[in-house]
Amino acid sequence: MSDLTPAQLVPYVTGGAFALAFIFGAVANKTHFCTMGAVSDWVNMGDLNRMRMWLVAIAVALLGSSALVVAGVVDLSKSIYPGPNFTWLSYVVGGLLFGVGMTLGSGCGSKTLIRLGAGNLKSLVVYVFIGLAAYMTLRGLLGAFRVGVLEKAAITLPVGQDLPSLLGLNRAILATLIGAALLAFAYASKEFRANFDYSLGGVVTGLVVVGGWYVSGHLGRVAEDPNTLQEAFVATNSGRMESFSFVSPLAYTLEYLMLWTDKSKIITYGIASAAGVIAGSAAYALATRTFRWEGFRDAEDTANHIVGGLLMGFGGVTALGCTIGQAISGISTLALGSILTFLSIVAGSAAAMKYQYWRVSRED
Amino acid sequence: MNFDKDLDARGLNCPLPVLRAKKALNDMQSGQVLRIVATDPGSSKDFETFCKQTGNELLSQSAADREFTFYMKRK
Repeated sequence: MSDLTPAQLVPYVTGGAFALAFIFGAVANKTHFCTMGAVSDWVNMGDLNRMRMWLVAIAVALLGSSALVVAGVVDLSKSIYPGPNFTWLSYVVGGLLFGVGMTLGSGCGSKTLIRLGAGNLKSLVVYVFIGLAAYMTLRGLLGAFRVGVLEKAAITLPVGQDLPSLLGLNRAILATLIGAALLAFAYASKEFRANFDYSLGGVVTGLVVVGGWYVSGHLGRVAEDPNTLQEAFVATNSGRMESFSFVSPLAYTLEYLMLWTDKSKIITYGIASAAGVIAGSAAYALATRTFRWEGFRDAEDTANHIVGGLLMGFGGVTALGCTIGQAISGISTLALGSILTFLSIVAGSAAAMKYQYWRVSRED
Repeated sequence: MNFDKDLDARGLNCPLPVLRAKKALNDMQSGQVLRIVATDPGSSKDFETFCKQTGNELLSQSAADREFTFYMKRK
């Protein structure tokens, strides 16, 4: 690939992102992989199997990504996650609000795409409001608040915020220990081991994230862009190497559609990945005849989904990612902020579910 | 099948059908039957897990006309 120009690499990057996301969309639909569902099963029923599925995805992503680093294939420090600027308040506030939002909006960003592919029109509304709020948080009114208030609460670390740098430990050893511990916890359950779908959903999601790093960080890497004479990662919105994340790509998809005639706008890795999840989920739903149109129940249901989308858009950009972006792609870099965001999302979602049950309990 | 209470969860998505079922069962006596009608495709798996975890008995589930119907016996 090294003899190709950056422009010639674009189809490989976007095509690779689409293909991987397509697989994720289909498998997540089949296996009911859902991070909000994982919290719901745990908080509302005491069932940890879907949480184990999520943890397997994290473990596989961590082990696979670390293997790519050790093999010299990618350099995860080129991603947005492990930088030395530890914006702790953004991770906590963004994560909490994202967690509340995904509970109100029937699922996180990726689940929104999966539901949309399967015919849920509520998710189309959530998609638009995630994209709108995300764009406002990236560059608009909410962006001023994010940068001027939340990101002021930051600690500039002397090294990157990834655990190997912070603790002075070997990445391969640390990743192996953490990955093995997560896998041991998940597979200690006989019930989890007995259901193939749990493993399928977790392992495939983790592998898709690893594949995402390979596509963007290896195939899409240009050592010296002829225009800037600097290293570049082609077809990314961040300008850095990316793996899967499903908040800002929704905003960039809307931007791309609205500015279609602006030739400087291209289909990026993120845009292709969002489209891939919808397509993969739709393909599975159509093939298994489970595609069905769903709409809003009433005004309250509509309001919940709109607010959920807005909170996810703001929270996801503020925290630098979602339940896939920070909680799998980010944790695969062992960034401390990713772990903090993951915990904040789970806490926000659990709190929102407790509130929902309190409200339901007050009804006649 | 006879039932003692009816829960309309149509148009609701996870986690609301489970939360409403939980509340409905809390208001019922042991042995009574709750009928739930839902449209969320994930509700089937959710209610299977719910019954397994809570000890309530899932007497039957069926799908027709884009709706899922569950009969659940309170423990």
